[in-house]
Amino acid sequence: MTLHFEFPANLSAEQFIANTAIKQANAQLVSQHYSIRTYYDSFDWRLYSNDITCELNRSKSASSLTLTNLKTGLVIASTELDEVPKFSKQFPPGAVRSTLEPILEIRALLPVCTLTYESYHLNITNKDEKIVVRLLIEEHELLNNRLVLQPVKGYDKAAKHIVEILTTKLGLIPTDKPVLLAALRLQGRRPNEYSSKLNINLDPTMRADIASKYIYSHLLKAIKDNEQGTIADTDSEFLHDFRVAVRRTRSGLSQIKSVLPDNICSSYADFFSWLGQITGPTRDLDVYLLNFEHYKSCLPASIREDLNPLHDFLLAKKKKAHKELATKLQSTKYKTTLSEWEQYLKKPSFKKPIEQNAHLTIKELADKRIWKVFNRVLHEGDAINRESPAEALHTLRKTCKKLRYLMEFFQSLYPEHQIKHLIKNLKGLQEVLGDFQDYAVQEHNLQLFSEEMMTLNTPSNTFLAMGVLIQNLDTHRCSARKDFASKFEDFKQEENQSAFKSLFRNSSLCH
Amino acid sequence: MNVLAVYSIKGGVGKTSSAVNLAFNAARSGYRTLVWDLDPQGASSYYFRVKPKIKGGSKDLIAGKRELDGLIKGTDFENLDLIPADFSFRNLDLVLDAQKKPTRQLKKLLKPLAEEYDFVFLDCPPNISLLSEAVFEASDILLSPIIPTTLSLRTLDQLKKFIEDNSLKNLVLIPFFSMVDRRKKMHREIMENLIETHPEILATAIPYASDIERMGLERMPLGGYINKSRSTKAYNELWQEILIRTAIRIQ
Repeated sequence: MTLHFEFPANLSAEQFIANTAIKQANAQLVSQHYSIRTYYDSFDWRLYSNDITCELNRSKSASSLTLTNLKTGLVIASTELDEVPKFSKQFPPGAVRSTLEPILEIRALLPVCTLTYESYHLNITNKDEKIVVRLLIEEHELLNNRLVLQPVKGYDKAAKHIVEILTTKLGLIPTDKPVLLAALRLQGRRPNEYSSKLNINLDPTMRADIASKYIYSHLLKAIKDNEQGTIADTDSEFLHDFRVAVRRTRSGLSQIKSVLPDNICSSYADFFSWLGQITGPTRDLDVYLLNFEHYKSCLPASIREDLNPLHDFLLAKKKKAHKELATKLQSTKYKTTLSEWEQYLKKPSFKKPIEQNAHLTIKELADKRIWKVFNRVLHEGDAINRESPAEALHTLRKTCKKLRYLMEFFQSLYPEHQIKHLIKNLKGLQEVLGDFQDYAVQEHNLQLFSEEMMTLNTPSNTFLAMGVLIQNLDTHRCSARKDFASKFEDFKQEENQSAFKSLFRNSSLCH
Repeated sequence: MNVLAVYSIKGGVGKTSSAVNLAFNAARSGYRTLVWDLDPQGASSYYFRVKPKIKGGSKDLIAGKRELDGLIKGTDFENLDLIPADFSFRNLDLVLDAQKKPTRQLKKLLKPLAEEYDFVFLDCPPNISLLSEAVFEASDILLSPIIPTTLSLRTLDQLKKFIEDNSLKNLVLIPFFSMVDRRKKMHREIMENLIETHPEILATAIPYASDIERMGLERMPLGGYINKSRSTKAYNELWQEILIRTAIRIQ
């Protein structure tokens, strides 16, 4: 197995090579060249979270991409490659692609950091001039130098002997941490610095107004983190995460009631509602494009290809929508308002706030709000019968979302296992409501698209295929509508109600 | 894993240089490749600068006391490993004979390596013996170098007959010309005749060349010290032809 070592701070590669112990071990310098290594990962560190590093190593004569297991140091896959494609599906077929695809899915592969170094390749040979150990030295400017020892199969004794020399005579230190970590530390960064999951640690005794600002700051960070990727349209997840953070903020402003001054809440509610509106069209089109292969696979094989003009249409429409969005995200209105919001969140809170709920502890407020919205979900759901209009389900969907966001904001205030279980139950109900709404919207929009496409010389077969697709979506919508009753029954069952009650109601009564 | 035995009843026909250079070609195209030096003279071990010695000798190995994997040595070339020869291999026939089902022993030993290698080249000693029968049972392909001389036709036919008599149906015999001296009229004539009567012989012929002879001095495969020559080109083409010929069988 390959072994990694770190040089002591004052040892250069040249000094290492000139060292008597190394010379006596019969080491020969085979090559020395300037190298560039770029680490890649998705914005949300999917490879690192799966214990994989992805590096492109370039020198004058070669350029190759290597995936390595972080824990074992073993190479998973490697391929010669000059340029790294943006998406895993754009890689040539092979081990690299089949490793990346299930992990990265729709996320783009982005450069994380780049290291330049002088690399030295040494061979240690025996009496027959047979190579028994290979040494690769990386001489960095700002980091300690590194050495990789590659043993040759069947020559374990020689490898052990060299390890002994490296550690005792030259003071090298074995390391199992990739140089990536040291390089990131140098830039004040660390892996997993971004996650799309909400992870807010609250102290239950915190004053509600302070805690709410803390929550908004988290969401603001997510908005800012995803802003550039959204403007550049690096991948569709940036806009998705951006919108989720915007929606959560809006939900917070309306649901964490009477905590911040009314004028603040209402003016920023308008701003975030505007952000929701301007990002909507691009996101909708992203969803159609992401679903496109699925749409095709739902059609009979003989007419699948007829749907392709719809893809071109969606792509053109999305490009236009995205351009407008990017302009708005670079506008003065956006920049100023967001920075004012940031300034407001940073400002220290008043010692004696006048808002009704600002004095409560965040735990008191959380109990109260979650319990109230939970009951609203039950109430709205109970009122829905077979004849109820689609709007009733849509309203319930929105209430469920509010409940979900509240539970996620305040997750850290409750026993992890219990609240996660309740969120999971809610998710089941949200899924069927989401499906119903999505199918209805898609059906409606496809009809609008087909009207627009009439003016574009679209082949008639495409409309036929779209007709079949709309029919399919309608069938799915009807089945989601049918599923609703049983999913709501599941959610409403006594066990779930009493779990909600014991977690939120009982404690809220104590206050 | 595909097992290719480089074998000839006659000695001195270029078996070892073919095994070593073909294995080098396979490894260079990315296949995980192993050479097993079964010849007690240890010539392929010598070419890879590996000591012709294995712990416990042939007795321990055939008795199942040692796994093949523990005897493997990495060569100086990527994807290319070697199991060295041992002087005790001169008695392999006797050691095999002491076992039940002696001709199945090599196949059994190779089995655990199936996932680790794409190609295994067996560098075999000459003669037809119990060891060669065990080689035939373990192999998918029998590569047989032939020097274009009058005797070669006889040995090739002997080998074909042996394969038929022993009903080794799954073994594919692929002969090719080796140590060809195109300046010799006799070589040219025999090659022309043999190709007509034996269409299984490959079109590529390995020349008699001084750069191949230099392998003994350089102690490495041809591709290790020469970038491009008539000989490297010949081995490369031979390997491509073998791949095409066996395409259906290669997994």
